[in-house]
Amino acid sequence: MTLATRDADEQIILAAVSARADLQPAGHMQRLQEFFARPAGRATGQIAIVAAILAIWQFGSGRFLPHVWVSSPSAIFTKLGSWFVDGSIWIHLAATLSAASSGYIIGSLTGIASGLLLGLSPRLERILSPFVTALYSLPKVALAPFFVIFLGIGVESKIALVSVTVYFLLLYNTLDGLHDLERSWSSAYRIMGAKHSEIIRHVLLPGIMPWIFSGLRIAVRYSFTAAVLGELIAGNEGIGFLIESSAGNYNSAGIFAGVFVLVICSVTATQFITRAETIVLHWRA
Amino acid sequence: MTGTLIELEGLSKTFQRDSNAIMALSPTDLSIKRGEFVALVGPSGCGKSTILNMLAGLLRPSEGRVSYGGEVVNDLNLRVGYMTQKDTLLPWRTVTDNIGSPLELACRKTPKAERLEKIRKMIEFVGLKGFEKHYPGELSGGMRRRVALARMLIYDPETLLMDEPFGALDAQLKLVMHDEIQRIVGGGQKTVLFVTHDLGEAIALADRVVVFSSRPGRIKAIRSVNLPRPRDVFRIRFAPRFTELHEELWDQLKDEVKKGVDT
Repeated sequence: MTLATRDADEQIILAAVSARADLQPAGHMQRLQEFFARPAGRATGQIAIVAAILAIWQFGSGRFLPHVWVSSPSAIFTKLGSWFVDGSIWIHLAATLSAASSGYIIGSLTGIASGLLLGLSPRLERILSPFVTALYSLPKVALAPFFVIFLGIGVESKIALVSVTVYFLLLYNTLDGLHDLERSWSSAYRIMGAKHSEIIRHVLLPGIMPWIFSGLRIAVRYSFTAAVLGELIAGNEGIGFLIESSAGNYNSAGIFAGVFVLVICSVTATQFITRAETIVLHWRA
Repeated sequence: MTGTLIELEGLSKTFQRDSNAIMALSPTDLSIKRGEFVALVGPSGCGKSTILNMLAGLLRPSEGRVSYGGEVVNDLNLRVGYMTQKDTLLPWRTVTDNIGSPLELACRKTPKAERLEKIRKMIEFVGLKGFEKHYPGELSGGMRRRVALARMLIYDPETLLMDEPFGALDAQLKLVMHDEIQRIVGGGQKTVLFVTHDLGEAIALADRVVVFSSRPGRIKAIRSVNLPRPRDVFRIRFAPRFTELHEELWDQLKDEVKKGVDT
């Protein structure tokens, strides 16, 4: 079959298809699609999905899914409610949040500072880079037992674990930013007569903000992970401890309730950073 | 006012790529008078931009030397303004801030009020009124070039190095920019080195056109344009002298362009 006749065939088929579509009235299907394209429609769809999952979970639990493993939405929310009623949740939430946020702040500040130090002095970077790479590649969780014997089972060991995790993330993002930043920006400034310190202030520091923010955004997730891991390994408070002790009692509702609290915290904190990012980097249309 | 400002003496540049030495520019002599507008034309990779980089002090010559104002350039040459082919505007700064950035530097620190006044005049001059608060990402290619031009002109460097400044613009927009350039520097207030692929652009703007061979670049022809100023860049293409020069130089250039593509 030649190309021309194939084209002709395709056109006939296409015409037939569109003719059939034309025959149907602009019906329910189309109106439904338009509805889901709108923000309100999208939210409705999302709520419907959550409701469906919860309904299946609730209905299936104890019928064809063992309740002891999957618990059920009502049991989880009852558990969650009881934590809020007796106030116990606040102690654990405060422990996890303070470990995650202190570690996050310490780790990101020192990480950015070290990244700048290495990135702006190539000689130092050449000497230190194998060590930095080795430490970066190390799964930081492996250090948790060390922090526990060194700093005890209190909040300090968790802060240390979070800091170390966040530190390397931010160090590498800062360093990547300084390496990948458009070089012609710096040479344009040099030709204008800028001193090295002025290039750093006017070009490099503002220029690497996108890298720093992407590091800060990812670090939120990692700091919660590290804090909870620290609490799972050793501790007597925190959401990780709640999850761990619920698991010890085969209380799956407690596990899910703890996870639910963590999801809310992590999403909220990430949203917060993302909002700050869009304000600071508003020029990125 | 007249007299040699820029002098290339046996200037050459060889780049080291892996273990291969690639000669971009073979030994070249050229002198440029103060207030002269010289266009460098030639195929890609013939070392035109390399000359600008060495003149700006961003690159060291492999052999020979380049002197500026009687002194050998061996550090950054801060008496030149450089408009590169590539966009070097900072994307996080507005049009106003980008144009004003040379005036914020310690070497020519300008009080804020004076700086803003200069920026305002410059924005008006390059026709960007109404776009003061825009970011480079929100501007068209032509507007970004105007911002780059304004940023170079605002600190009034005595020599302008322009490396295919309008290479990415469409033909009509190019003419508008030529008209602007011609208004700014046509009167011999500035010395200009203008690198381009476009022979028509070179003849329309320059006092002298230098044609380079393909790599390794060497000077193949130098012609004075001798068209009266101020020039009407929109109609100059129909002047007999333009046509004559264009044909003559094109004959020199076309073989090099072909060679440049073959290798």
